[in-house]
Formats: sequence, structure tokens, C-alpha cells
Amino acid sequence: MLEHIKQWLDRHRGGRSGHLDLESLPNAKTPGDQLLSDCRLIVLDLETTGLNAAKDEVIAIGAVAISGGAIQLSDQFDLILRRPELDITETVLIHGIGNEALTQGHETEDALLYLLEWMNGDPVLAFHSAFDQKFLEKTLRSQLGYTASHTWMDVADLLPVFFPKAKPGGKGLDHWSELFGLEASARHNAAADALVTAELTLMALNRAQKDGIKNLRQLHDKLHYHRRLQNMHRF
Amino acid sequence: MAAANSDNSRPQNTRAIMTFLREHAPFSSMDDTHLALFAEHATLRFYADGDEVISPDDGIIKRFYVVKQGRIRGERHNAKEDRTDTTFEISMGECFPLAALIGERPTRTLHRAAGDTFCLSIEQDAFITLFSASDPFRDFCLRGVSSLLDQVNQRIQSSAMASIGSSNSLDTPLERYALRNPIVCSPDLPVDKAVARMHDNSVGSIIVTDDSRHPTGIFTLRDLRTLIAEHKAPLDTPIRQVMTQDPICLPAHADAFEAAMLMAEHHFAHLCVVDDEHCLIGVVSERDLFSLQRVDLVNLARTIGTATHLRTLVSLRTDVSRLVDTMLAHGADSGQVVKIITTLNDVTVRRVLELNIKKNDPGIPFTWLTFGSEGRQEQTLLTDQDNGILFETPEGMTEDQVREKLLPFAQTVNQELAECGFTLCKGNIMASNPKLCLSDDEWDDWFIRFIDASTPQNLVYSSIFLDMRAVYGPTKPLEKLLDKVLSRIRKNALFQKMLAGNAFQRKPPLTMFRNFRYVTDGNKQALDLKRQGLAPFVESVRVFALANGVGTANTLERMDELAKKGVFDPKDANAWKEGYSLIQAIRMRSHQELLNRGEELTNLIDPDDLNPLDRRILRESFRQAQRLQQKLELTYQL
Repeated sequence: MLEHIKQWLDRHRGGRSGHLDLESLPNAKTPGDQLLSDCRLIVLDLETTGLNAAKDEVIAIGAVAISGGAIQLSDQFDLILRRPELDITETVLIHGIGNEALTQGHETEDALLYLLEWMNGDPVLAFHSAFDQKFLEKTLRSQLGYTASHTWMDVADLLPVFFPKAKPGGKGLDHWSELFGLEASARHNAAADALVTAELTLMALNRAQKDGIKNLRQLHDKLHYHRRLQNMHRF
Repeated sequence: MAAANSDNSRPQNTRAIMTFLREHAPFSSMDDTHLALFAEHATLRFYADGDEVISPDDGIIKRFYVVKQGRIRGERHNAKEDRTDTTFEISMGECFPLAALIGERPTRTLHRAAGDTFCLSIEQDAFITLFSASDPFRDFCLRGVSSLLDQVNQRIQSSAMASIGSSNSLDTPLERYALRNPIVCSPDLPVDKAVARMHDNSVGSIIVTDDSRHPTGIFTLRDLRTLIAEHKAPLDTPIRQVMTQDPICLPAHADAFEAAMLMAEHHFAHLCVVDDEHCLIGVVSERDLFSLQRVDLVNLARTIGTATHLRTLVSLRTDVSRLVDTMLAHGADSGQVVKIITTLNDVTVRRVLELNIKKNDPGIPFTWLTFGSEGRQEQTLLTDQDNGILFETPEGMTEDQVREKLLPFAQTVNQELAECGFTLCKGNIMASNPKLCLSDDEWDDWFIRFIDASTPQNLVYSSIFLDMRAVYGPTKPLEKLLDKVLSRIRKNALFQKMLAGNAFQRKPPLTMFRNFRYVTDGNKQALDLKRQGLAPFVESVRVFALANGVGTANTLERMDELAKKGVFDPKDANAWKEGYSLIQAIRMRSHQELLNRGEELTNLIDPDDLNPLDRRILRESFRQAQRLQQKLELTYQL
């Protein structure tokens, strides 16, 4: 990954030092008639120092890309950010990233720029995406001054929409993975969780296409509708 | 991804896929760099239950797939009967479609997901890179499934090898195998004459002895090579000038381990075995030591066949077990090995009979019959007696009078066979049972009742009495009897159907979801390789064999005959033979392991004790048994 970033930076900066032009980053795409069977989607998971977006920080980013209806392992993102100044004692037990790993992480700015370039403006999916979206947008804003927002979709919404009869033991990623016999290769590892989330996404997309949902807009609308329905029930 | 050397620098998901691959063939024997190449180029796809994965209509195959989770079913349309047959199943860790990918053609089989399934796959260019870079991968792809079978065999061989190298072989005294008559000469013999003598006796060494037969030197082919290459001396030089003086000697009671250590220490390939007076009595070569356990089958059979005492026969049984180890180690297949065990068992049975006739001749000619697994020539080390007697009643005697003479004789034979390791039959299916010591007419009546009035109890016996063979005595009476039995069964469709129904009861141990179905063995889960694994093959094949006039009792031979007669499709017959043989091989390996640990032999195994490859092979073999039973079901409309 480090090599990749270096090569990419060299290419983009043309050997010059200094900041990248934020304007040259890819624009976020809106859900239109891109076919589910061949569009590119980002499935992302973050590890953070805690749950409070106001004071906690991102320490690891794992993501895989789905394109052509398959997870492309040649197209993935797996980085621990260099944040040695952060206090991670509270969560270190959960995700297993200790100080040593953090200091070996990468210049946050470089990593985030590369991430944006890599994401290519494609829609982002995550499990309980509000959390990841809040943290990532906050980090992008504070580190890079980047304020454009991507299209986010929540896999935690996607699953009950397409598997209405499924009864997972709860609403978490673990519950859904267990229901479908999936297992993360490492628990609370951003990349491993992203892969399991992507696997669940593939299952949902498989069902969506059988239900006649062909493109991103239809998928987005369906999720939106489901959300509204849920909110109505709440009142 | 980036050129990363150490595992830690690879992304978590790449590492996870490598870990997954490492658990399965051929990846388990591939280099990490190649596994990484696979993982970094892989795509992961999902197929819901029933989704097509690849189909003959997709055109030339461009991807190589590995099942990561779930299962793939191969479907072929059977035009003759207008239905879809499942031709194979691919489960976790297995690769497809090898033949089509290598042959650069479309697949001939529709691959469909059986249950929700994830597959890893790589594109053709990555496949070609791996194919040319990794030897194990290439071997695997070229040999396809057959290499799986090879791997099982290799594993059986290596575990048998390990037991050969165990201490119990090396602590055997040298005199037990070093008594090969040494080739000797006097110190004055010219080298060329000595070499001629070695040549005549096809040995690699000659011992030079003095007048009192004390070894004074040794001359080997290696010495000859040096002599000629370095022009040390003309070939008519007396051998004492070129021999190695004072060869290493060991007393006959020294053990093989000492000999091996000495040889290793001095880099000698030969050493002399001497008696207490230091007189030469034999030579041991390195090769002798390392094939110590290569008990020669012919020799063993001859030793058994000429043994003069029961206790010799009893002691020779350990040699039989050692021979089985060796056979397995040298790559004999399970079919050959069970036949060899049977052959040696036959020789033992014959010798026990001969020794008893010598001691106490009942005076009436008889044929010694053997039933069940021995009748089928499918015995392993765990075996009990199933035997009987067939006689032709001499003029002027009644059958009961004959029995009066034969039964006490049979009683002794059964007891002595038990001492030789053939457990007494719990069901009393033994020649000493008056009901199984019968004349030709009585046997014929017996079979008429058996076939025409078949009761559930009778059917239980079908696996014993319908697989029979003569081990001793005239074979003609049995051939006549068998002819009658076979033609009666061929004409009796009802009996065939009952037999088939009975065979159909014995289900292979797979659940609907293709998991293993266990029998309970105390607290442990277990599979009974004989009853659950082999029996479904044996029983189904027997029905087809008897219904189609196949006289032989051996299951593999029966399948060959049935394929020749067109009853079985040759491809099916091969798959079934392979499945049957693999279960047998795994069973025999487990027997050898139990034996080496000094534990009681059992047919039960815990699949968790097997490696993933063996588990897969067992599962596939059981599935073949299911297919065979499906044929039975269709043929007899069960």
C-alpha cells in the first residue's frame, strides 16, 4: 500500500513537493442509471479511537471495491493512519492497533488524498454508514479542507430490504454475517470488516437484481423509500 | 498491489485469502509469492442457491474458480431419460473447471450453485502466469482430480514409510535378515576373477577370508570403479592388494540400528556379520537395512505354506501385517493390498487344514468354503471367520455320518484359525456349525429355500452366503452349485427386488446437506467405514452382479464385469471403483495406525481426525455410493 501511495504521489506531484489541488480530485457521482451489474461501488469500514465523532479520530481505513458485480481484490484499500499523538488506550483492546502500528502508519494527508483519488467519486457503502460517513467527512474536512460529499448507502438498510424474512440475532454486522455463515478473517480489522460487508452487499445486490432493480438510482430510491417507511412506523 | 515481500506488508484481505488457500490442494504446496499473486488478482463473486455459475453457452472458459464457501453442482442433461443428472459436486477449496480451461473450450457441464456460494476466481492471464510459475499448480491442473487421488495415496505411503522407519524394525537382531550367504574368495584371487564371481552372483561386494573363514578384507563395486578410473593396478593383481582391509564386523546378535549407525559413521555400504569365533556368517548391505521390512510376498507365502507348526503360523501373522505396511509404503493400491492379505490368509487357512489333515485325517474329501469379505477377497487386517464345508457324500454313507467325521475336524480348524488371528465368528458362521457343513444336495436345498422363501433374516445373510469362494479342496462341486444359484436368482425377479431393497437400506453417511451422518460411538462422533462406507457399494454391486450372472465375488471385479456387460456405464464404473477403493484405502491406513499404536482394530473413524483433503475425498466417495444406489433405485423401482 505504501509503495502504491508513493508511486501515485510521485506521478501526481511530478516530483514537486507541496499540496495537491483539491479541485483535481474526482467528483462525487450521483446515483443515476449506472447498471448495478457493472458500476463501481466502494465498501468501506473505519476503525476509530471511539464512538464520539466530535472528539474521536479515525485510525484505520479498510475498503474494497465492487465492480462488474464482483469484489475485486486487486482494487482495495487497507491503511493504518499515522496518528501517534492520539490516545488509543480505550479502544486498543477492541481493534488491536497499538501505538507501534500507529506510528508506522502513513502521513494522514497523503493517505486521505490517495483514498479520495482511489474512491474515484463512486458511491460508498458501509455497515451503519452514518457512523463512517460522519467520521470520514470530519477527517477529510479537518485534514484536507475537503467538503464535497459522496453518495452513501447503508448496508444495514440494504439487507432487511432484500431479505425481509431474514431474522438475524440483532442489527449488527456480526448478526448478519452469522446468519449467512460469513466470517471476518480478523475481528475489528477495518479491511476484514469491509470485506465481510462487501460480501453481504453482493448477496443483497444479487437479490436486488432478481427483484428487477437494475441501476443505482432504483437502488437508492428503494433504500430511501424503506427509510421513510421505517421512520413513519416510528411515529 | 505493491511488490510486497513479507507477509505483514500485505493487506489483511490478501493475507486472509492466502490463509484460506493454504488449507487446500494444490495451494497447500505452493509458494507464498504464488499464493499472493492469486489473492491479489482474485475476484470474489456471490451466487445464490440455484444461480448458474458457468454454462456450456458461455463460450470458451476464461476464468479459474475456487469455491470459497458453499458448493457447486455439475449438471448434465440426460437426453435418453430426459432429466438432469448431477455429475459432480465441488465443495469448499476445490477448483473448477480445469479440463475446459486447459482445453480452451466451453465447459460441457452446467455449473450451478448448490446453496449460497462464494467463489474466488482469477482471469486467464493470471492463471497462465501461475500455471507457468508454479510446479505444484501446473501438476495439479494437468492431472486434475486424479492428482487428488494421488495425494491420498502419497499420504498413505508416507505414513506407512514412517512406521517402517520406526524403532521396532531397527532393533531386530541382524541374524534375522543378514543370513544371506556371503560371496567370498581367498586373498590371492586376481581382481578380475573376483569381479566375475560377484557378477555371477549379482552382488555388489565380495568378502576376502583367510583359511579359517575370518574376514580379512572387502572389495566392492565402488573399489572397482576407483581402481579402473585411477589406474591403480592391473586387473590381474591379487585382490589382497586392492581390497579394504579389516572390514567392519558385527556379531549376529547386534541389531540393525547398530549396523545402520556404523555404516553411517564410516560411509560403508556393507558390513560383515560374524559369529563368536569371528567367522563370517553373512553380509549386510545398506540396502538390506533400509528395506529390512520389505518382506517378500512370495517368500512369506512359501514360509506360511510350508510351516510345520501352528505356532509358526501364528508368529508369521506379524509378518503379514508388516508386509501390508510395506505394500502401502511402496504405493500398492488398496485393491491390490486386500487381495494380497486375502492370498496370505488363504495360504494360512490351507496350511492349517493341511496340518490338521496330516495329524487327523477325517478321510472324506471336502471343499472348504469361505464367505463374506474373504469370499470377496476383500479382507483387511480386521477379519473374522466366515466359513463352511461342502462335501459329496461317499457311497454307502449318510450325510449325518459324514458330518460326524467332519465336524470335530472343523472344530479344531476353527479354533486354530482363531489362534492365527481370525476371530471366531460371533454369528457362528463357521464350518463347525452343522448347518454349514453340508453336502452338495443339502447346500442346493439350502439356497432354494434362501432364494424362494426369502425372509428379512435371510436377506441379512445375503452379504455372507452370496459372496462365496472355495479355499481348499476340489472346486468343481462349488462351481456346479454356483451355476444353479446364479440361474435361480436371474429367474427370480422378486428375490432380486428384495435384495435391492435390502441393499438400498444401507445408506452412505451423508445427510441431505451433504454433511457426514455419524454413528454414535460413546461420546465421539464417528463414521463406520465398513458398514456405512463400503457396504453400500458392496451390497448394490452384488445385486447387479447376481442379477446379471456375474460369478465372481470380488466387488471391483464385479464392477469390471458389469461394465463389460454394459450394465454399468464404464465411466460410472470407474468412478464407483475409485470411490470404493479410496474408502478402503483410508480404512486400511487407519488399521495400520491402530496396529502400530497397539490398539484394537476398529472400522470407526472420526472425520475430524482426517485432514481436509481426506474428508473431501470421503465425502465424494460417499456421494458416488449414493449415485450407485440411485441406479439401484431406478432399476428396481424401489
